[in-house]
Amino acid sequence: MERQISYDVVVIGAGNGGLAAAIRVLQGGYSCLLLEKHNLPGGFATSFKRGRFEFEASLHELNDFGSPEEPGDIRVLFRELGVEDKIDWIRIPEAYHFITTDKQYDCVMPFGVKAFTDKMEQYVPGSRPSVTAFFELCEEVRDAQAYSTSVNGNTDPAYMKKHFPNFIKAGSYSVNEVLDALKMPKRAQDILGAYWCYLGVDLDRMSFLHYGSMVIRYITRDAWMPRLRSHEISLAMDQRIRELGGHIWYHSQAEKILTDENNAITGVRLTDGTVISTRHVIANCSPHLVFGKMLEEKSVTEQMVRATNARTFAGRGFSMFLGLNKSAEELGIKSHNYFIYDTADSVKQYDMMRKVATNHVQATVCLNNAYPECSPPGTCMMYFTTMFMSDDWGNVTETDYFKAKDRIADDMIRVFERETGCQIRDAIEEISVASPTTYARYCGHPQGVIYGYETADWDSLMPRMMMLAEDAKLFPGLRFAGGYAMRSSGYSSAYVSGDISGRQTVGDLKREVK
Amino acid sequence: MNFRKQIFGFMDMLRFKKLVPNRREALAGGSNAPLPQTYRTNELAKALHPGTMEVELTAVRPLTAGMRELTFRRLDADAFPFFRAGQYVSLQSKVGESLVSRPYSIASSPREALENKLILGVEEAGFFSGYLDKEAKPGDRFTMTEPSGEFHYETLRDKKHIVCIAGGAGITPFLSMAKSMAEGDEDYEMTLFYGARDEARIAFKPELDALAEKGLKVIYVLSDEERAGYEHGFVSAALLEKYIDIRNVTFFLCGPKAMYDFLLKELAPYNLPVKAVRKDATFCGDRAVSGPRTFQLTVRIRDQVYTVPAKENETLLTAMERAGINAPNKCRAGGCGYCHSKWLDGAYVIADGRDGRREADRKFGFIHPCVTYPAGDMEIDVPPAE
Repeated sequence: MERQISYDVVVIGAGNGGLAAAIRVLQGGYSCLLLEKHNLPGGFATSFKRGRFEFEASLHELNDFGSPEEPGDIRVLFRELGVEDKIDWIRIPEAYHFITTDKQYDCVMPFGVKAFTDKMEQYVPGSRPSVTAFFELCEEVRDAQAYSTSVNGNTDPAYMKKHFPNFIKAGSYSVNEVLDALKMPKRAQDILGAYWCYLGVDLDRMSFLHYGSMVIRYITRDAWMPRLRSHEISLAMDQRIRELGGHIWYHSQAEKILTDENNAITGVRLTDGTVISTRHVIANCSPHLVFGKMLEEKSVTEQMVRATNARTFAGRGFSMFLGLNKSAEELGIKSHNYFIYDTADSVKQYDMMRKVATNHVQATVCLNNAYPECSPPGTCMMYFTTMFMSDDWGNVTETDYFKAKDRIADDMIRVFERETGCQIRDAIEEISVASPTTYARYCGHPQGVIYGYETADWDSLMPRMMMLAEDAKLFPGLRFAGGYAMRSSGYSSAYVSGDISGRQTVGDLKREVK
Repeated sequence: MNFRKQIFGFMDMLRFKKLVPNRREALAGGSNAPLPQTYRTNELAKALHPGTMEVELTAVRPLTAGMRELTFRRLDADAFPFFRAGQYVSLQSKVGESLVSRPYSIASSPREALENKLILGVEEAGFFSGYLDKEAKPGDRFTMTEPSGEFHYETLRDKKHIVCIAGGAGITPFLSMAKSMAEGDEDYEMTLFYGARDEARIAFKPELDALAEKGLKVIYVLSDEERAGYEHGFVSAALLEKYIDIRNVTFFLCGPKAMYDFLLKELAPYNLPVKAVRKDATFCGDRAVSGPRTFQLTVRIRDQVYTVPAKENETLLTAMERAGINAPNKCRAGGCGYCHSKWLDGAYVIADGRDGRREADRKFGFIHPCVTYPAGDMEIDVPPAE
């Protein structure tokens, strides 16, 4: 007899967005099945072992987390999801260490607006007024976004105009345009811009609102991370879903989203042919996959195709993980989080990142400088990440694959040693390299993209949030979570997108009953 | 604070109002060309990592009294993935009512894989190997997992000169590594010490001698036989000193546990760093228990529940296989994590030194059934095999 498997909601993909969405659906009182093609939850949020090291796969630090006493938005979200207490948290010591190869910069920046502004004044005398104005503006951005979230994007223009006039006036400009208007000295702009690679768009095209809201969260609320790597978060959410009576199927890849003659969702079919009945899907994967392959062709509209084709893929990821047989102290590695660029000119740098051969950017973490016990005594652990801003990696052939990975890894070591003076090569006890191919393999993202769609120009964060309801009308019954969703990529954003889409799906279900 | 970019603040406000109409217009103005069905990087990922493969045994050749060479071709594609010499595959089949699988190091080269040829050297030992050794014949079909494992050369980690030490069937990954070097895909210099009891137990000798013409340095070491052209005894530090500079090489060891124990003792006085010696993982077998009890194992796979007997001295994976449950597995040594499953209830024991779980797995109750033995009735939640 054919089994009838039916759920109120099916979530496709147990990445950060999918996990948060599933918890929200279950908290709303509806049944939920979470499907994951891999045998682990978390997507990029995981860890892996090599020899005596357990590497963090992707998390540098969790932005907007804050202390238990002064929680940031993400800690509050984790509290509401019921996972905050399941995880042991570590505070990240400093914001970042910014180095450029053109020898203009070697700056260590602290958390805290005052400490940050003071340090900036040291590096760039005279920067205080404009940096102070920057943070004031950022505060208004944060407040305006909090208001916008509280009304689900349905903001009242008059209220906005009255309470957040500077937010509106600065809201259509790029980072560089706003910093120029604030008359910030060029060198201070460069140092302040160091986080740009976390959003993956150069500062001429990145919306100020997006950058400002991220920087203020980083600087005013400390960043934290889980002691047992991001795998601890993912398993805590797995456990929470089980506690709430939800089901997770690992090794279960969704292949088709099925629809009826009215193009309403009727279910999801797995690669092994199993069919699950549902009328609501939350997709923790890209619209390119959903509208390109998963949704039954008869239900794919011209509007879906155009809206998807209009968007630009963000960076394709490349990471190197090193287990070193000397301590960070012995090797002279002092910082937790390095940004190393060829140049502080983000436009020029972005352009160099288009080609594999000309890309030397790295965001590098030595985890022991946040959590000394993360590896055995006398050792330390590092991970290096970069991105390619075009599909250049797609040119790599099967037989050149391992060598291509080695070439980039070798370059990362060379650049780090040259710029910091820390000699790490001879201390390598374990090495592992993840290329765009690796990200494509585990998470299925097109071209190995790790940052979703670029939040540049017309597709920046603000209009995305303002069009939340409109975008969801593209295909009723389907919402997105994760790096390709409205909040764009990054851990915190992915959890928030799952939170939004999970709660809104609960709202959809409640309206149906009425 | 009063932000202003243009001469009049209202102009800045107007620009803000256009954000939504601009985005709406851009989305509607995207191309109407069909969305891509695939991408080059994703195609490469699929070629390198097909997951499981359907294969056919094409040839069987005796190598020594206790070892046979099995050659396979892939049926679900026209080539095997290019891999790193030294890696293994897991061969899976049904023998009677049981599902069985074992990891075997690949003896053929990554280039041969592209010609749809993959060779394993199988020693007659244990249930499945015995079956493969005696009964498997050309035309038989199997499931095979993609090449996996970290037992391979790493350019940025290892010394240029590698010293490989093989015992018995442990020769297979080194044959692949020597071929890969000769084919120009690896740039190490390789010295191979191959230990066996007597000359009759040396497998692949013609192949190895031919590779010696192409740069491989090979030393055969017989423990039970004295013979011209062969070293006699065990691969000891003294013997190694005769041929290599122990402190300036990276060691790769593949063989039985007794060989590892002996060699590590021989090398101990040199205080080599951990990174200097790499050992291939060995298959996790039964646990020594006198008068093993049989427990009840409840296995949840998706929405299905199975209850099967589980012997105290056999792994949870073996218990599932005996009952014909297709549970995911690859390395059978505790390390690869492919069998990662949720523990729900009951006591268990993990094989000594084989707890390859992540720290958070231990905290939240996940196990690797391939190295976990029941110590009472148990319940676990297992993902389906692919």
